[in-house]
Amino acid sequence: MSRVVVIGAGLAGLVAANRLAEVGVQVVLLHKGLGGLQLGQGTIDVFGYAPERVFNPIKAVGSVATTHPYTAIGGKAVLTGLDYLKKLLPELLLGDPESNYQLPTAVGAIRPTCLAQPSMIAGHVTDGAKLVIVGIRGLKDFQPQLIAENLARTPLPDGGRLRARHLWVDVPARDGEIDSSGLTYARAFDDEDFRVRFAKAVVDQLREDEIVGLPAVLGLKDLHAWRDLAGKLAHRVFEIPLPPPSVPGLRLTEALTARALAAGVRIVPGVRTVRYASSGDRVTSVTTAAGLGGRGYAADAFLLATGGFESGALNLDSHQVVRETLFDLPLAGLDQTPLIHGEYWGPEQPLFKVGVAVNPKMQAVDAAGIPVFANLYAAGGIIAGASGWTEKSGDGIALASAIVAAAAISKELA
Amino acid sequence: MRDVAMRGFSTVLVERADLGQGTTGRFHGLLHSGGRYVVSDPESARECASENEILTRIQAGAIESTGGYFVTCPGDDPTFADKFLAGAANTGVWAREVSVAEALRNEPRLNPGISRAIEVRDGTVDGWKLVWGAANSARHYGAQILTYHRVTKIETEAGRVTAVRCTSLRSGEEVLIECDFVLNCAGPWAGQIAAMAGAHPVEVVPGRGIMIAMNHRLVNRVVNRCIYPADGDILVPAHTVSIIGTTDVKVDDPDNLAIEAHEVQQMLDAGEVLIPGFRNSRALHAWAGARPLIKDDRVAVSDTRHMSRGMAVIDHTTRDGLDGMLTIGGGKLTTYRLMAEHIVDAMCDKRGEHRDCRTDAEPVPGSESGRTHLVSDRLHDREHDRFDEQIICECELMSRKMFTDALASQPAGSFDDLRRQLRLGMGPCQGGFCSVRATGIALDAGHLDSERANGLLRLFLKNRWIGLWPILYGDQVRQTALDNWIFQGTLDVEHLPQPTSEVVL
Repeated sequence: MSRVVVIGAGLAGLVAANRLAEVGVQVVLLHKGLGGLQLGQGTIDVFGYAPERVFNPIKAVGSVATTHPYTAIGGKAVLTGLDYLKKLLPELLLGDPESNYQLPTAVGAIRPTCLAQPSMIAGHVTDGAKLVIVGIRGLKDFQPQLIAENLARTPLPDGGRLRARHLWVDVPARDGEIDSSGLTYARAFDDEDFRVRFAKAVVDQLREDEIVGLPAVLGLKDLHAWRDLAGKLAHRVFEIPLPPPSVPGLRLTEALTARALAAGVRIVPGVRTVRYASSGDRVTSVTTAAGLGGRGYAADAFLLATGGFESGALNLDSHQVVRETLFDLPLAGLDQTPLIHGEYWGPEQPLFKVGVAVNPKMQAVDAAGIPVFANLYAAGGIIAGASGWTEKSGDGIALASAIVAAAAISKELA
Repeated sequence: MRDVAMRGFSTVLVERADLGQGTTGRFHGLLHSGGRYVVSDPESARECASENEILTRIQAGAIESTGGYFVTCPGDDPTFADKFLAGAANTGVWAREVSVAEALRNEPRLNPGISRAIEVRDGTVDGWKLVWGAANSARHYGAQILTYHRVTKIETEAGRVTAVRCTSLRSGEEVLIECDFVLNCAGPWAGQIAAMAGAHPVEVVPGRGIMIAMNHRLVNRVVNRCIYPADGDILVPAHTVSIIGTTDVKVDDPDNLAIEAHEVQQMLDAGEVLIPGFRNSRALHAWAGARPLIKDDRVAVSDTRHMSRGMAVIDHTTRDGLDGMLTIGGGKLTTYRLMAEHIVDAMCDKRGEHRDCRTDAEPVPGSESGRTHLVSDRLHDREHDRFDEQIICECELMSRKMFTDALASQPAGSFDDLRRQLRLGMGPCQGGFCSVRATGIALDAGHLDSERANGLLRLFLKNRWIGLWPILYGDQVRQTALDNWIFQGTLDVEHLPQPTSEVVL
C-alpha cells in the first residue's frame, strides 16, 4: 500500500489526510501545534473582499489574477471541497458557494464568509433585525457595547439597518474565577446545569423578537449546546467568534481529526519536522525532532501543509532573508520591494504574499515552473500569492488546494 | 515646573503632546552612573554620579537599581579600562574592576571573550514614571499642566514677556496665559519656542538616536562597552525588555525622526558583540529620539555625540534684549533635575530674589518609601489581586483596574497616552490581544463614544506599527501574522465604519 506523509494539521492538512485515507492511501499526519483553525474564526471563507465586499464567493474565485493561488487551484476544486466539507461535517457547516453570509464580528464589523456553523447563522444581518449582544463579565475578549454600537451605526451591505443593544451578565465559568478564557466557558456550556443557570440570568432581560448574540463559546464537545440554550431562552441565538483560542475552530479541528482517525490516518502530534532526505528528483523521507537523531518517516509522496509566517513555516531572518523552513523551497513574491512598508492602514504588506509557487497539481515548483521534487506537494497557507486575512480567502485556498493535492497524489500513486 | 512650584511661584506647564512623548520617553532607559563620561566628559560624569544618587532617593518608584558593567570586548583596546578607572577615581564615580569570571557568572549571556569588566552603579529608569512623578509633585504645589497644547506665540511688551498664547490640540480652544517669566525647556524644539518670542535664533542641533527593545531581559545589569562612547555600545534591561542603543545622526527636524534600515542592522551587529546570538532573539519595537544639543563652536556640527552634553542656560536679556525668558539646552535625562535647578536659579537671580531649591530633598508622590522598583513587582501585585481583577494585557501584567483608573484620570487620553503609564501593548503581542479589550472597556467606562473608540483603536494600531515594521524579523513576523489573523481575519476591523475624520490625538 502506498504511503503519504502530510505535514501540518490545519484545514489543508486535515482535509488532505481525510481525502487520501478515504481512497485507501496509508497516511501519516505529522504536526507540531494545534493547527491553524484554532487561530481563526471557525467558518470557511472562500472570498470575502476582492477588494470590495463579495456576495457570490465562487464567482469571485473565477476572476482572480494569474498570480493568485485560485488560478492554479481552479473553481471546481473549491466547489468540490465545499461540498465535501458540508457532507463530512453536516452538524458544523452550512452554506452556499454562491452566497456569502454577512456575520457580526467581535468588534461589530460585518464580515462575509461562505460556510458558517449552524450556531452562527442567525447573526446573518438583515434589514430591521433587532439584536441584543450579551457580554459575560468573566470573558474579557467579548465587549458587547462595542459590538452593539458599531453594528447599530453600520449601514448593512444591502443598504439596510439593524438595531442592536447590549447587556451584561455575570455568570462565572468556574466558581470564584473572574478571568476565564473562551475555552473555559465553552467547557462550561457543555454542561446542561451551567446552561440552565446562564439562561436564567439572561432570559428576563430579553425583549420580544430580539436575536441574541453571544460569544462563540457555546459548547466545545456538545455541538447542540447552542440549540439547547436557544430553546431555554425561547429566542434565536447566534455565536460571534473571538480571538484565539477559537472555540469554533477547535470544533472543526476535533471533528476533522476524529474522522481522520476513523479513516485510519496515523496522527503524530507535537512533533516538528526538521529535515528531509531525497534521492534524485524524489523526497524519500522526512525526520522529526524526536530523541537522538530524530525519527524518520519514509513515504512515496509528501504534502507540505505547514502554513505561512504565523506557524513558522516561513521565516524572515534578521538579515531580511525569507526562507521556507523545512525544504528550503524556492519562493515566489520576493520581487515585490519593499516587502514591508510603514503604512499600517495602507496597501497589503507584500511580505505576506510570499510563499511557495505551485502548479495545477499542487506540486511545489521553481521560478521556471518545474517541480522541485516530483513527489512534493503543497497546500494551504504556504502557497504564494494571497493574504488570506485581507481577502478572507484562507480557508478556501487551504480546502481546495488540499482537494487538488490529494487527488493528484492518489492518481500518481495508483 | 516642580522646582518653580516648590519655590512658591505660580506656574503652568505647556506641553504640545503628552508628558514624556517627545524626548524624555525616547531614550534607552539608562540612569547613568557617570561611568560613560569619566574619560570623555569628566564634568558630566560628576553630575551624573551625584544626580543618580539624588534621583534614586527622590524618585525611587521610577528607578530600578540594576548596577552595570563596562566590559572590554574582543578587539576593543584593553588599556581604555585603565583610563576608565583613572577617570572614575578623578571624578568620584564609583567603579570597581571585577574578574571576567565574576562578570560572566552574573551575566551568563555576555560575550565570553571579554577581557576586562568594571562594575558601576548604573541603573534603569522609566522616563514616563519619572516625568509623571515630578508632575504630580508639582501639582501638589499648585502647578497646572496643559498637555496637548501648542504654543503659538509668546507676547512681549516693551522688551518683556507678558503672556504665552497656546491652542488646545484636542478642543481647538485658544488659551492666553499671562505671565512675567517663561522658561523655555522645549529640548529639540527650544529654537522654535525662542523664535516665538522674537529672540535671535537659538541653534539646537537635534542628534537622532535609535533604540531597539528586545524581548526578555538578555542581561539584568546595564552592560556598556568599555570604549570611548560610540554607537550601539549600551544594553539596558528595562522592565520586561532589554534596549540596545544608540546611534547619533544630526538631523534638521526633530518632528521627523526616521529609523533607517542600516542603523537597525548596525544595532543588531553591535548587540552581537555584547551578547553572542543577539540576532536570534526577538526584536519587539524600535523608536528614535532627538538629543537636544545646543550648538557649540568647539566641535564640528556634524558630530553631535561630542558636543557639550553639559547644559547651557541662555539668557535672552543679554542676548536679545528680552526680559523674562530663559532657554535651557543640552543635558541628559539623568541630570534633568539639575537642569531645572540651574534654570530656576537663573530665573531667581534675574528677579533679584533668593529662594532655595528643594527638589533634591523631597521624594515625589509615590516614591516616599524609597523603594526602587523590580521587574517582578507587577507579578507580585497580580498574584495578590488575581481573584478580583482581570488581566487585560497579559504581556505586561496590566489589570483592568490599572487601566480604568488611568483612564479616569485622563479621560480624553489616547491609548498611547495610557500606554506610557501602563505599558499597555508594549509586550510581545504589541497590542494583538489587549487593544480590543481596552477599546471595549474604555467605551464601557463611558468616557467616549463608539466612533472615538474605533478611532483610538485605529490610531493605536497605526502607532504600534511605526515602531514595528523597521525591526520586523523572526518571531515578531510570526506574531504580526497572528495579529493580522486576529484583527483582519477574525474581527474584520478594517471594515468597521471609519470615523468621518481619522482620530490623531
